Amino acid sequence: MLSIKLKATLANLEEFTNSVFEWLRSYDVSQKQIMSIELALEEALVNVCLYAYQERTGDVEVRCLFVDDDRFLIEIIDSGIPFDVCTLPTPDLKACIAERKIGGLGVHFIRKMATSIEYHRKDGFNILSLTFKAVPDRGTGMVTLRHNTGN
Amino acid sequence: MELMVRKEENAVIVSVIGWMDAVAAPQFDKRLETLMEEGETRIIIDFKDLEYISSAGLQTILAAAKKMEEVNGEIVLLHLKDAVKEVFEISGFDMIFRVFDDQDAALA
Repeated sequence: MLSIKLKATLANLEEFTNSVFEWLRSYDVSQKQIMSIELALEEALVNVCLYAYQERTGDVEVRCLFVDDDRFLIEIIDSGIPFDVCTLPTPDLKACIAERKIGGLGVHFIRKMATSIEYHRKDGFNILSLTFKAVPDRGTGMVTLRHNTGN
Repeated sequence: MELMVRKEENAVIVSVIGWMDAVAAPQFDKRLETLMEEGETRIIIDFKDLEYISSAGLQTILAAAKKMEEVNGEIVLLHLKDAVKEVFEISGFDMIFRVFDDQDAALA
């Protein structure tokens, strides 16, 4: 299992996503799926970093583990204000540019990328559980680490 | 993330290179804002060398496109591919922006 706990700040986003990236690669998860998972993870973490703690600071923890042979679980845990992403509406994806609302896409991406999503509030913690059905790498090529891309 | 800006006769092409997450998106936002303040009304965003984009990057593009519409300008997308293309499709952005695979066609 991978567990990483850091201050809930965007400055730590790369450390979270890099750690999860390397954990997934160690299980031969495909590059395409890693990109999908990174997207869902970033969107969930950004929500915590921007909104969970409001005027104060706090931590966010990411846990990754395989629950069986072909499914793994990523949990995002914080002790901020209660926030259930599962209750948010899907944005209007057909609205034109003028009518399209800015925001709301992050949760939509989490829903689309994860196989299932669950939210629990327990002992003062928000626990967002994202389950993914693993897609193994079929030898389509090496994954490019994000820190090699100039970011 | 790196940004390269090239001015053509009737448009400016912004090439986005690398990885655009919520940390990098404000830099992109600032660049687009500057170009609009300079009077550019046709911006082509070239994604050929972009590997990843999240909602923060899309929100930046949408906000800029809204401002562009107010001055009858336009943001055009070029070379969507792989994971980036998928994100645009999932968000429906590929339907509300003009998307090109060919630079000459985008510039026409």
